Amino acid sequence: MEHVWDFSALLNNKQLLLIGLRNTLILAAVCLGLGLFFGMLVGAARYSKKPLLYWPSTVFVEVFRNTPVLVQIMWFFFAFPIISPFDIDAFSAATLGLTLNTTAFSSEIYRAGIRSIERGQWEAGKALGMSYGEQLRRVILPQAVQRMLPAFMNRAVELLKMTSLASVIAYPELMYQAKIISTIEFNPIEMYTSVALMFFAIVFPLALLVQRFELKHKAR
Amino acid sequence: MEEVLRIEDLHKSFADLAVLKGIDLAVNRGETIVILGASGSGKSTLLRCVNFMEIPSSGRIVMNGRAVGRAVDGKQTYSEKELTRLRARVGMVFQHFNLFPHMTARENVMEGPRTVLKLDPAECARRADTYLDKVGLAWKADAHPSELSGGQQQRIAIARALAMEPEVMLFDEATSALDPELVGEVLGTMKELADEGMTMLIVTHELGFAYTVADRVLFLSEGRILEQGTPAEVLTYPTQEGTKNFLRGHGSFRLPEPQLD
Ligand SMILES: Nc1ncnc2c1ncn2[C@@H]1O[C@H](COP(=O)(O)OP(=O)(O)OP(=O)(O)O)[C@@H](O)[C@H]1O
Ligand SMILES: [Mg+2]
Repeated sequence: MEHVWDFSALLNNKQLLLIGLRNTLILAAVCLGLGLFFGMLVGAARYSKKPLLYWPSTVFVEVFRNTPVLVQIMWFFFAFPIISPFDIDAFSAATLGLTLNTTAFSSEIYRAGIRSIERGQWEAGKALGMSYGEQLRRVILPQAVQRMLPAFMNRAVELLKMTSLASVIAYPELMYQAKIISTIEFNPIEMYTSVALMFFAIVFPLALLVQRFELKHKAR
Repeated sequence: MEEVLRIEDLHKSFADLAVLKGIDLAVNRGETIVILGASGSGKSTLLRCVNFMEIPSSGRIVMNGRAVGRAVDGKQTYSEKELTRLRARVGMVFQHFNLFPHMTARENVMEGPRTVLKLDPAECARRADTYLDKVGLAWKADAHPSELSGGQQQRIAIARALAMEPEVMLFDEATSALDPELVGEVLGTMKELADEGMTMLIVTHELGFAYTVADRVLFLSEGRILEQGTPAEVLTYPTQEGTKNFLRGHGSFRLPEPQLD
């Protein structure tokens, strides 16, 4: 079958697509920020010797790492409101799912990053008279964050791609907008091609950056 | 003579492994004490109990006449705050230097005064200059540890500890990780400190250094002080079989002395 490519409908719906793009970026940024923050706390809890911190955080991480994000998002949108007193909109459900997923993965990055610093570094800080917090802040984290940076950027890449899952609960991000437009305009080929290209244009530079970083790190 | 540090009936066990089995030692201000002993005899553990990198199982550490911790039901208990304060008054130099790689030499030296003592920037800078100069590395102030030789790194580590202006300095095999040609410069720095009246506890296998620099030599065996005295007494005329065996096994005693100046 011969297909005649026609992108004119795209331009007519430019506004809708831009809204989608904006929502995609907002969702990714919010979930990344929250995920990195909570990931640090959960990572610290998993580092703890106290069972009350260690076990819940470990269960949390394993649950969210080992279930599909799509299921998590659906669960927060359809199941969570039934068992909880709150109503939840599509943005909140998507944010919850993606944030908790990012939290789980990034907590592992923090943990591995901190683990990778030799014990002698802690000891040197301690011997100077630093408190545990000072050792972490002045000695360990500055070194660990450098090693963690490529992994965090990889997380951002994954997260950007995962935002498209929010379309299943009608959150108007790029993918959902494309679906709407294509049903109105009957142009799924142009629509989804464009969305793929838009994602590629955002994600690819980021992925390149990660690669450069990793190379630089290896070279050192 | 003024006593700076007293160790009283110190015991330390790891799980059911008893490592220190009753150490008593009084250290006078300005004294240089070298601790010898076979591998596993507890030398590192002894040093690490002095600045509470390890918490003693029993016994007391007395600094400047005041016991560290509080006696509760006949056992010393310690608050974390008290221990960090104590550690700030005791300098420690490690076998593997443990410099902070993300900081320059100067920043390494300033880190304690800045973060722990919370001194103002001018005083931090003064200390950095003073102690970098003391170890002869003012010209390397802006280098990162990775750009320094092992000997230079260890001297920066010594400066970092000195910048806290500690009452006692602990050296745990400070030259063991160094290439032989770099040992001399670090021992030289340590000798200068001893000559200037720093109070030092030094674990080392450099018997020549012990002989010329120590005021007192201790021989540790299986968690106890088997023998102690002047370098001549312990190294030249040992009385205990354990000490004699150790010295026999130490051919390096007969090597030429390192150049210390
Ligand atoms: N944190 C620890 N946990 C368990 N055992 C330990 C610990 N630290 C030291 N030990 C054990 O205590 C004993 C004494 O160790 P220590 O490091 O004090 O000996 P050392 O005299 O410094 O030996 P070396 O000359 O090899 O450095 C060893 O058997 C060691 O395995
Ligand atoms: Mg040792």
